[in-house]
Amino acid sequence: MGHSRLKFLGMVGLALMLLAACGSSPAPASKTYKIGLVTDTGGLNDKSFNHLADVGLEKAKTDFKVQGDVVESHSGDDYVPNLTHFATLNYDLVIGVGFLMATAVGTVSGQFPNIHFAIIDGAGTDANGVDLKHPNVQSLYFSEQDAGAMVGVIAGMLEKEGKSKKTQHVISAVGGISIPPVNHYIAGYKWAATMEDPSIKVLVGYSNDFTDPAKCKNVANNQISAKSDILFQVAGGCGLGVLQAAGQAGVYSIGVDADQKDSDPSVIASALKKVDVATYTAIKNVVNGQFTAGALTFNIANDGAGYALDNITLPADIQTELDNVKAKIKAGTLTPPSDIPA
Amino acid sequence: MTFLSDIAHLLITADLWRATLEAAALLLLPALGGVISERSGVVNIAMEGMMLTGAFFAVVADLALHNPWLAALVGIAAGGFMALIHAVVSIRFRADQIVSGIAINIFAAGMTLFLVNRIYGLQDIGHVGQSNLLPYVNIPILDQIPFVGRVLFQQNVVVYAALILLVLVNIVLFRTRLGLRIRAVGEHPQAADTAGINVYAIRYGAVITSGLLSGLAGAFLAIGISNTFVPNMTDGRGYIALAAMIFGKWRPFGAFIACLIFGFGQAIYDANSVIHVSQYLLSMLPYVLTLIVLAGIVGRSIPPASDGIPYSPGTE
Repeated sequence: MGHSRLKFLGMVGLALMLLAACGSSPAPASKTYKIGLVTDTGGLNDKSFNHLADVGLEKAKTDFKVQGDVVESHSGDDYVPNLTHFATLNYDLVIGVGFLMATAVGTVSGQFPNIHFAIIDGAGTDANGVDLKHPNVQSLYFSEQDAGAMVGVIAGMLEKEGKSKKTQHVISAVGGISIPPVNHYIAGYKWAATMEDPSIKVLVGYSNDFTDPAKCKNVANNQISAKSDILFQVAGGCGLGVLQAAGQAGVYSIGVDADQKDSDPSVIASALKKVDVATYTAIKNVVNGQFTAGALTFNIANDGAGYALDNITLPADIQTELDNVKAKIKAGTLTPPSDIPA
Repeated sequence: MTFLSDIAHLLITADLWRATLEAAALLLLPALGGVISERSGVVNIAMEGMMLTGAFFAVVADLALHNPWLAALVGIAAGGFMALIHAVVSIRFRADQIVSGIAINIFAAGMTLFLVNRIYGLQDIGHVGQSNLLPYVNIPILDQIPFVGRVLFQQNVVVYAALILLVLVNIVLFRTRLGLRIRAVGEHPQAADTAGINVYAIRYGAVITSGLLSGLAGAFLAIGISNTFVPNMTDGRGYIALAAMIFGKWRPFGAFIACLIFGFGQAIYDANSVIHVSQYLLSMLPYVLTLIVLAGIVGRSIPPASDGIPYSPGTE
């Protein structure tokens, strides 16, 4: 009796196991893709590229069968552990946000050759910044100079026509740290402003920081003392101090990465870097099995970079010139430089 | 050598010295807090976290109440609350004070980020309107003095408060009975206890005061100089204040001089748009200045004898 009961239990157990096995091998079409996003120290509230990366991830979650998880980094030491966290859990794509994570992505992508990585604004590099060209790393680059050029046209035209606040033909930019993504913006800005108003003087300063508005505010105040009346912030959360300084001094400012219209009434335009478009595209490629290693560049031609007009109504001729320059950059007849012109 | 003439030109502008004093005042408040805490024998490296907490709650309060004074009080209280945690852990439970301080700094960074996400979602935390910021106040008549007026008498209300607190803390520490007790507790708590001084009460008071001062500095940063909260916006100032306290030999005025040197370096750096030299070279300036002053003038710094040693009665 006891023997047959055991036999019965064994049969039930076997049946359950078979059932379970069926459940765990679904058709490939309904696979849920796991995407891990690691922010840099700016955090998700930077109202800038970390925020936009998350917007792209959220959009992908509604469009595809995607499980998206985000980990925020509080210091540079968090990058490697955070990336490793997703890699050990076998995520389908691990995205690092920001140039500052390049070395960490280089390290972790080498340790997990079977995991796909994407990095915004950089490549997987060694400690010396040399691209390791790992076959599992995709670099999402932006032509920030395209966006910088658009706001540079606005600044240059306003100065040329005497429609800025001080009409001294002096404008400026505050960069966070002197790194390529920051300098590309400033390069396009200075290039375009000088093209529109050859007599213009463009001051360039750095705050050595991306999180502390007080530092950027002091840099901005120095530029305002030196007669600048249009200030372009390229310093993330720190740059909010630039917008504030411009507002307090009654001059114009220009936002960066996202539309910063609401940050201060002084913001007349924002240079846009559509990190959401890039993140979404990278996820879409993985879902469609089209992951490619190497560089993918987002620019004004493929709508990965652009500008937004904010708290100002532009004179018609400036709008015409903006459209004109935009068309020329798209067509390739004008090419903004990626290095800041002398 | 154009950059030397650029710097020489800067040195005669009042704005540079004004920025120096403002940056120094921001460091001075937590540095004074550190002096008080460590004079009583409790190592405090948690000014960074207390400042950050103060900054966050000041912004939250200002956005809700539209009153900078109440908001500053909330920021001060928040700093004090973080200090209370440090006090309980290191005085009541006699834990390692360095570990407790580090824990508070990490906790403050995580907590503020978490609360930002909780309260405001992923939206912008918002900006405090110009009229709800801690105001810049020009002192009548005095602010008309050429150069000096701009540097000393057209400052934020918190800068004046910091300078008054500097004098006050110095008097209390070295000219009053309370100060004598604080220093006695920091040098030889057993002897102080024998003389009838409540060692625990003095230490609790000193640590909490350091939190109140750091909280005020956070409020100044967030709703005086800036008008919003950005995660990690204190950006290491609490640690620089710690260094200023040590360079100042645990004395208020010594710490103030160190703060002025750091503030001066920062003010020069912030003018990098108009100085024709690598900004990297400029960013070294505060530290080079510090080394020169430290090696050349200050000499050896000796902390209070019982700094960092938890007190338990009868363990002589």
